[in-house]
Amino acid sequence: MKKSFLFFLFGVFSTFTMLAQQTIVKGSVKDAVTNEPIPNVTVTIEESNLTTQTDGFGQFVFNQNLPLGEQILKIERDDYQAKRYPIVVNEGKTLDIQDMTLNIKIDNEQDLFTITLSDDELNDDTSGADNISGLLSSSQDIFQRTAAFEFSSSFFRVRGLDSDNAKVLINGIEMNKQDTGRPQWSNWGGLNDVVRNQELTTGLAPSAYTFGGVLGTTNINTRASQYRRGGRITYSSSNRSYTNRVMASYASGLMEDGWAYTIMAGRRWGDEGFQDGTLYDANSFFASVEKKINDKHSLNFTSIYAPNRRGKSSPNTQEVYDLKGIKYNEYWGYYNGEKKNSRIKEVVEPILMLNHYWDISEKTKLNTNVGYQFGKIGNSRIDQTGGANPSPAYYQNLPSYFLEDGDLAGAYEAEQNFINDGQVDWDRIIDANLTNNISGSYAAYALYEDRNDNKQFTVNSILNSELNQNILLTAAVNYKKLDSENFAEIIDLLGSQTGVLNIDNFSQNYFDENNPDYVAFEGDKFRYNYNLYVNELSGFAQAQFKYNKVDFYLGGSITKTDYQREGLYRNGNNIIDGQDNSFGKGDKLEFTGIGAKAGFTYKISGKHLLDFNGGYITKAPSIRNTYTNSRESHDYVGVRNGENVPEIDITEEKIASVDASYIFRSPTVKARLTGFYTKIEDANEVSFFFTQGSTTGFIQEVLAGVDKKHFGAELGLEAQVTPTIKLKGAASVGQYTYDNNPYLYINSTSEDFLVQNDEGNTDILLNEVTTSNMKDYRVAGGPQTAYSVGFEYRDPDYWWFGATANFFDNAYVDVSPLARSTDFYTDADGLPYNDYDPTLAKELLRQEKFDNYMVVNLIGGKSWKIGDKYIGFFASVGNLLDKKYKTGGYEQGRKADYRALRDDVALTKRTFGPKYWYGRGTNYFVNVYLRF
Amino acid sequence: MKTNKILAIILSMFFAIAITSCVEDDDFSVPNATGNEENAKLNDLLAKIDAGTVELQTIQQVRNNFVQYEAIQFESEIAVKGYVSSSDETGNFYKEFFIQDDPVNPTTTLKVVLNQADTYNQFNKGREVYIYLKGLYIGETNTGDDVVTIGGQYDDFDSDVLEMTSNQISNHLFRSSITETLVPVELNLSDVSESHIGMFVKLVDVQFPASLEGQPYVNPIDDYDSSRPIESCSESATFTLESSTFASFKNNLLPTDGKGSISGIINKTYDGYDLVINLNSTEDVIMDGLRCDPLFQDSFTAGNLNNWTTYSVTGAQEWYYNTFGNPSDSATMSGFSGGAVQNEDWLISLPIDLSSVPSAYLSFQNVKRYSGNDIEVFYCTDYNGGDPTTDGTWVALSPSLDTNTGSWSSWTDSGVLDVSAAAGGNLFVAIKYTSTSSAAATWEIDNVKVTVE
Repeated sequence: MKKSFLFFLFGVFSTFTMLAQQTIVKGSVKDAVTNEPIPNVTVTIEESNLTTQTDGFGQFVFNQNLPLGEQILKIERDDYQAKRYPIVVNEGKTLDIQDMTLNIKIDNEQDLFTITLSDDELNDDTSGADNISGLLSSSQDIFQRTAAFEFSSSFFRVRGLDSDNAKVLINGIEMNKQDTGRPQWSNWGGLNDVVRNQELTTGLAPSAYTFGGVLGTTNINTRASQYRRGGRITYSSSNRSYTNRVMASYASGLMEDGWAYTIMAGRRWGDEGFQDGTLYDANSFFASVEKKINDKHSLNFTSIYAPNRRGKSSPNTQEVYDLKGIKYNEYWGYYNGEKKNSRIKEVVEPILMLNHYWDISEKTKLNTNVGYQFGKIGNSRIDQTGGANPSPAYYQNLPSYFLEDGDLAGAYEAEQNFINDGQVDWDRIIDANLTNNISGSYAAYALYEDRNDNKQFTVNSILNSELNQNILLTAAVNYKKLDSENFAEIIDLLGSQTGVLNIDNFSQNYFDENNPDYVAFEGDKFRYNYNLYVNELSGFAQAQFKYNKVDFYLGGSITKTDYQREGLYRNGNNIIDGQDNSFGKGDKLEFTGIGAKAGFTYKISGKHLLDFNGGYITKAPSIRNTYTNSRESHDYVGVRNGENVPEIDITEEKIASVDASYIFRSPTVKARLTGFYTKIEDANEVSFFFTQGSTTGFIQEVLAGVDKKHFGAELGLEAQVTPTIKLKGAASVGQYTYDNNPYLYINSTSEDFLVQNDEGNTDILLNEVTTSNMKDYRVAGGPQTAYSVGFEYRDPDYWWFGATANFFDNAYVDVSPLARSTDFYTDADGLPYNDYDPTLAKELLRQEKFDNYMVVNLIGGKSWKIGDKYIGFFASVGNLLDKKYKTGGYEQGRKADYRALRDDVALTKRTFGPKYWYGRGTNYFVNVYLRF
Repeated sequence: MKTNKILAIILSMFFAIAITSCVEDDDFSVPNATGNEENAKLNDLLAKIDAGTVELQTIQQVRNNFVQYEAIQFESEIAVKGYVSSSDETGNFYKEFFIQDDPVNPTTTLKVVLNQADTYNQFNKGREVYIYLKGLYIGETNTGDDVVTIGGQYDDFDSDVLEMTSNQISNHLFRSSITETLVPVELNLSDVSESHIGMFVKLVDVQFPASLEGQPYVNPIDDYDSSRPIESCSESATFTLESSTFASFKNNLLPTDGKGSISGIINKTYDGYDLVINLNSTEDVIMDGLRCDPLFQDSFTAGNLNNWTTYSVTGAQEWYYNTFGNPSDSATMSGFSGGAVQNEDWLISLPIDLSSVPSAYLSFQNVKRYSGNDIEVFYCTDYNGGDPTTDGTWVALSPSLDTNTGSWSSWTDSGVLDVSAAAGGNLFVAIKYTSTSSAAATWEIDNVKVTVE
């Protein structure tokens, strides 16, 4: 039936128009159901390298280098089923194929995954893991799609790189956060219907919007006129992150009066996801309105509001998992019969955008955008200034703690208590506060939020100009200004009427010496309070050249970034020898980043292509890896307690990357094989933890001048073995390692770390800058080896199913740099421990490699067309075999010296073993929708 | 039009769902009191006490089970009630608290050890606490320290009583809803005895030695516990304040600018030898009076008479430093040298500055051996270092003097001698020794003190 339809069409386009000598193939594409023209359809003449896209009226034209004779014309767009049309190209003739139709891809698996991925991402700063999948899910590339859909639950990273190497834009405005460099997916979570118009460029390949990162660029287009007219209602159910989801969207399409609008609302909610006590509460609203003023000018306004709250889940030691299973989450406890999570992440950051589209000429377009994003991110937790650690998995509550002393009875009791209860005891917490009300003591506990309230203003202009048929020029200027307020705020006093004294309980210093004896109540700020100001001015230019056999491009960018911190508290821990290092404005840090890249594609034939890319990027370190303890002081990498650290200067991070690909395309087989090499230099890693060795206290660990080397190969393969069966395969084999022994120093305001020097001034103990022997340790963050094989069966009767088996290996624990430094074997007096045994030390410091594992995923669906409406259903089962696997983990810095680590490892159960994250066990997702 | 209608339906449907599908709310509606489970257990115990199946004993009765160096398990159905006297809010106590038998005028106490930090936010000071004793142990946490303790386990190596486990806490230790205000027992330093261990007491008329000015509660060189001396204004007795190096007030400076009172818990040092006082909070240290330091003091422990001028008017013998005294060291004079020799020898203090005080009182101790003249005691304001028989306008004082010439240890307090007439200028104190060729006594003088009050 499908075939006869094709032949029917083949008959239709026999309308030849004679035109001079030029050979032309042109036509239009529209929606088979609504008859609306479809923009942005990729039109390719197979076996040649010719490809173009339809314009806003669904029109396309080829007029260059057309191959003659019988050809196959392919039209495809993400959300439609691709079609192939046989055509005949005659020299000097124009072939006009009007009104080719495309059917909506009703079994759109992309739906399934982008949804869940952006939902999961909310968790990313809890897990420390970083998920690139949201970026790749719209890719056409089989490898990247596999990485997005099959590898993401293992927190696989493409090329081992962090997602701050990928840029996400909405309407040309960069959405990566200054704080981490990563995109905050939850800002537009739950709006799947309206963020589907995405343009992805992978790797260094040129983008029409920005220079991009080494992992690529995604631009989400929310122009109202670009949405297909119609609506959609969706209901989903899952046990992954939320339990229920409803969404409804409607787009008007471009109406006759030049207006277009698109609206969407959605809600996702659930009391818990796969992990215990992880509530989910998210609403999403979207509206976009466009007015086409005239043929040249169009104005679009978009607003996105996606407030969401999510209960976090804890990483745990193996001891805890063994007792409580992989769903265990230490952050919640029963309160009035309900599971109440103490750590909730709330993100409320509306986005407003005004975009102006100016078609200066047919060849030149200028796009000017203004964006404003504001709101808050809050992460709640329990403050425990006057009470025992409320964490049920606190090491003193676990059997290992008792076993350390050989107390078997105590270990048994702890084990039984932990198995039978092992959750936050809210009643005890509130009772403690009520008791303190009686004695007039300050609150023992309070629930507070670490707040990050940002206001970001962005303005940019992007020029795209086709200089001639071979050269496309892109240039942009961009200015971004961020004002970030950071503070802790009490959100619930948990029964206390006495408030929380604003004092550091360990050092007994006031958090704000300007306001000593200040007592904070609900809604009051306490602990820390500072602003960060960021300005970023950048320019970018790029030229793309397209010729018959070779395409190539050159691009360059320059970015000026400055950071400045303003302390609103005079932190008592940071007044050292009378010198204040926290109040008022700190140094203005200025960075200049440059980018240069080039690449070419050599088309051996339509089937065989070679692609090469190379680039060099320098960029400002993210705020998180710049300031070493921004909550308390002005210090940044290279400055400790207000004084320069010898040998260390903060500098731009440098990334050099090259890749080479062989691409094979035939009507039935698509394959890509890529080799890549990326070198990162002068990166910083700042971390904070409590350490307990020869010296005890909270420290900031600064790793400066980190070099990393990532190289490997990726393969993606897809074969349509029969019209209904497609086989898929993907592989990534890499080696991602630290490539030098970076500088390491620590800072601390904890008493054990502060000593008086000969002049009577305060020094930091272990103040030497040392190096950490990180070279050749593996970079943590997902498996470095991943394979996937699978198939899809698509029945002509609109049902389908697929299965994949995914194999992962070479995932490693995140090692503690401090334990790899000289501090590991030196006693408090700076001499090596007298019982230091290098052979044993080597064994202790061996990086843990996680077990390899295989995950099987199933997916299937069916759809029906009823009149002009579609109803679709699909379901997926993740990790069918319920494989338990670690997705990540880190060594606890608490026992970071030789003796402490040796003694801990020697225990039958480690008290301070690494903490891990586990992947989900068997999980499901079902989805039904109505499209009209 | 049609689509708009559908849209309207969808949206209203959506909002209906959105409104009704709420998840766990983030507000805590806090009750006035929690611990219902604990209350239920207490009520259960009280009912048993009423029914006579559990006997409520006094702390004294419970202490009668104590045998030093042993950990004895309670095997009968008994319970005890007390009031929490200590607080670990400042970290000065750790996994322990004391109870006393009465909030006012307590007579005895018990220590309770438990595997729980920050007990103050549950067993707060003044809280009425019941302990169901069956199965628990009575003994010492550090055998031999005499601190009678209730614990949950014992160490079969040295019979130390060990902490109650968290399970034992919830089954043996119950609070009532009552929190009493404890009235501290007022004590002079010399009154403190072992019977006060664990009791909330107030040491009155005390101060820290002036030499500790600028020093914190915890000496930074100490690893665990840090001792600071306390001196009495009305007695010669001294005592020790002991604080944990984990106490939050450890870096607070000792209040040395006045005298007053220190309230806290009487306890034993870790080795069990000495009594000390532990603070619940530095707010219990109230130094609101004028210091009571002597204007002049010499107990001759320096081994010399450097604070004095010795002037021999007659005879070869002179005042000299002597290693004997009360308890040791003194200024001594004897006119005996192979036989009684005629002597007149003065022991005159260096000028004592009374320029900023309104009054002054002299006291010293003396002992006389062998027969002979008594000493005479004078003061003046105008001595210039010359012959005291001509230099200085000496005024005689009337001290009590030793009359027992047969003993070296019949030390006699001089009594308080008013020398306030010298206030506003310099004071010189002189002790005049005389002997004849027929009788020459030996006089020892010690613990000379001039005070404001």
